[in-house]
Amino acid sequence: MNVPNSLPACAVDLVGVTKFRGTQAVLRQVSARIPQGQVVALLGPSGAGKSTLLRCVNHLEPIDDGQIFVEGELIAYRERNDICFEMSDRDVSRQRQRIGMVFQSFNLFRHMKVLDNVMSGPRYVMGQSRSQAEHTARALLERVGLSEKAGAYPHQLSGGQQQRVAIARALAMSPRVMLLDEPTSALDPELAQEVIAVIRQLASENITMLIATHEMRLARDFADRVLFMVGGELVEDAPARRFFDDPQHARSKQFVSRHSHAA
Amino acid sequence: MTMKSVAQASATVDDTHSRQTRKRIVHRRAWGSWIFAGVVLGLLVAIVDAAVSAHVVDASVFANYLFSRKILEGAGNSLLLGTVALFAAGAVGLIAALMRVSGNPVLATLSSVYVYLFRGTPMLIQLIFWFNAFPLMFPQLHVAIPFTDHVLIDGPMTEVVTPWIAALIGLSLAEGAYMAEIIRAGLRAVDTGQRDAACALGMRRGQILYRVVIPQAARIILPAAGNQYILLLKSTSLASAIGYLELLRVTTDIYSANFRVVELLCVAGFWYLVMTAFATALQMLLERLYPHR
Repeated sequence: MNVPNSLPACAVDLVGVTKFRGTQAVLRQVSARIPQGQVVALLGPSGAGKSTLLRCVNHLEPIDDGQIFVEGELIAYRERNDICFEMSDRDVSRQRQRIGMVFQSFNLFRHMKVLDNVMSGPRYVMGQSRSQAEHTARALLERVGLSEKAGAYPHQLSGGQQQRVAIARALAMSPRVMLLDEPTSALDPELAQEVIAVIRQLASENITMLIATHEMRLARDFADRVLFMVGGELVEDAPARRFFDDPQHARSKQFVSRHSHAA
Repeated sequence: MTMKSVAQASATVDDTHSRQTRKRIVHRRAWGSWIFAGVVLGLLVAIVDAAVSAHVVDASVFANYLFSRKILEGAGNSLLLGTVALFAAGAVGLIAALMRVSGNPVLATLSSVYVYLFRGTPMLIQLIFWFNAFPLMFPQLHVAIPFTDHVLIDGPMTEVVTPWIAALIGLSLAEGAYMAEIIRAGLRAVDTGQRDAACALGMRRGQILYRVVIPQAARIILPAAGNQYILLLKSTSLASAIGYLELLRVTTDIYSANFRVVELLCVAGFWYLVMTAFATALQMLLERLYPHR
C-alpha cells in the first residue's frame, strides 16, 4: 500500500514530471498541485507537451523522471528504497478507472453502438450487469442530450455528437479526475459549441478537470487556472483571470495578445 | 424585378426548352469491344461444336459418378480437411501475428522467420516432408509428462503420422503463414486511438485485444480470410500425393481403373465448384453480419 505523499485535498499532484523522446525532453520538470474540483486549462503552442502531460497522468505514456499523484496515490509506479518500479498492467488499469479521458479524435469504439460505448467501461471493467450499466448509460446520454442516438453507430453521428458520447463514456466510470485532450479541436465552431456546453456543465459540478486546448474561450470562460507551457516547460501557472488580464512571462504575453486579436 | 420582366424571362426559358427537345442525342458506341466480344463468342462456339461432335464427355458416366458413395466421401474429406485446417491456420496465424506486433525482438524475429519459411516453400513439399521425411528424422514418438511415469504416447512415428495428420499439419502450418500476414495487417489497421480509449477506461491488455482490437480487425480480416478458405479447399487436392483419400485421390483411383478420365475429372471439378460456392456464400454472409465501418 502506498502511503499518500500529498495532502488529501490535492486531486492531481505533478512533481518534477520529465519525459524524453529519444534524447529530446518533451516534458521538463513540470510541477503543479491541483486541488479537488479545480478546472485547469493547459495552454501553449503546439508541441508544448500539453497532450503528452495529460497522457502521462493516466500512464498512456510512461514518464522518465518525477512522480504523478492522483488523490494522493502514486500513479503507475511503486516506490521501494527510493526506486520507482512500474506497476503491473492489472494495477495500472485499476488506477485508470478513476481517471476519465476524452480525446481530440473522440475514439469511440467503432464496432459498438452508442449505448454499448457508454456501457463498455462499467460492464467490462467494473463487471456490472447489463441492466445495471444500461440504467446509468441512458441517464448519461440524457445528460449530454443524446438519448435518441442510443442505438446509432458512431459513424452515423456528427463530430460534436461523437465527442459528447465520448464524454458520457468517460463519465460512466464516475471518474474523480477528467483529462480532456483538445476536446474541440477537431470540430467546427458550431459543433464545438455543443461540446463546450457539456464541459461547462461538468465544470460546475466540482469534477477536477485538466483541459489541453487551443480554444481560448474554453479557458477564458470557465477555467479556474491556466498552466502555460512552451517546449515541455511550465512557463506560467496563474489564475485564469490574471493570466488573460496580466500575463507575466514574455511568451505568455505574446500568446495572449496574439489570441485575443484572433478572437 | 417587376411582374412583366419575370414573365418575359420565363418565356425565353420556354423557347430554349422547346428548341432543345427537338434534337436527338446519339452517344458514342464502343465498337472495338463489341467486335472483340463477337470474335470470342465465335471461338467459343467452335470449341463447343468440336467437343460435341467428338463426344468428349459421356453424360451418363458423369451422372453415374456424380453422387457415387466414394466420390461423396472424398468430397466430404476434402471439405473437412480444408475447414479444420482453416481454423488451425487461423489460430497459428493469430499467435504468429501477435508475436510479430508484440514489440519483443526475439518473438518478432521468430514469427517472421516462420512466415518466410512456410510461405516461401511449396505446400506440396511441406506435405511430403511431414508424411515422409519427418518420420525418418524421428522414428519413435515418446510423449510423457515430465517428472512422472505417465506416458501419453509411445509408438513408431509412422503409426502416429497418418496421411490425415500429415495433411492437416502441413496445410495448417503453410496456411498459418499466410493468415499471420493477413491478421497482422488487420491488427495494424485498427486505429491506435481505439487502444488508447480502451486503456483509459481501465481495460486490461487481454480485454483490449478481445473487446476492441480483434472485433475491429476481424472486419478487415474476414474478406481476405474467406479468399484463403477458397484457396485452402482447392489446396486439399495436394494431399492426394501423400495418400489421403480426398476428392482428387478418389477420382484418380477410379479413373486409373476404368480410364474415364474426362468424366471423372469433370465430377471432381463439379464438387470443387460446389465447395467454393459454399465458401463464397459463407464469406458474404459473415461480411453482411460484421460490416466494416
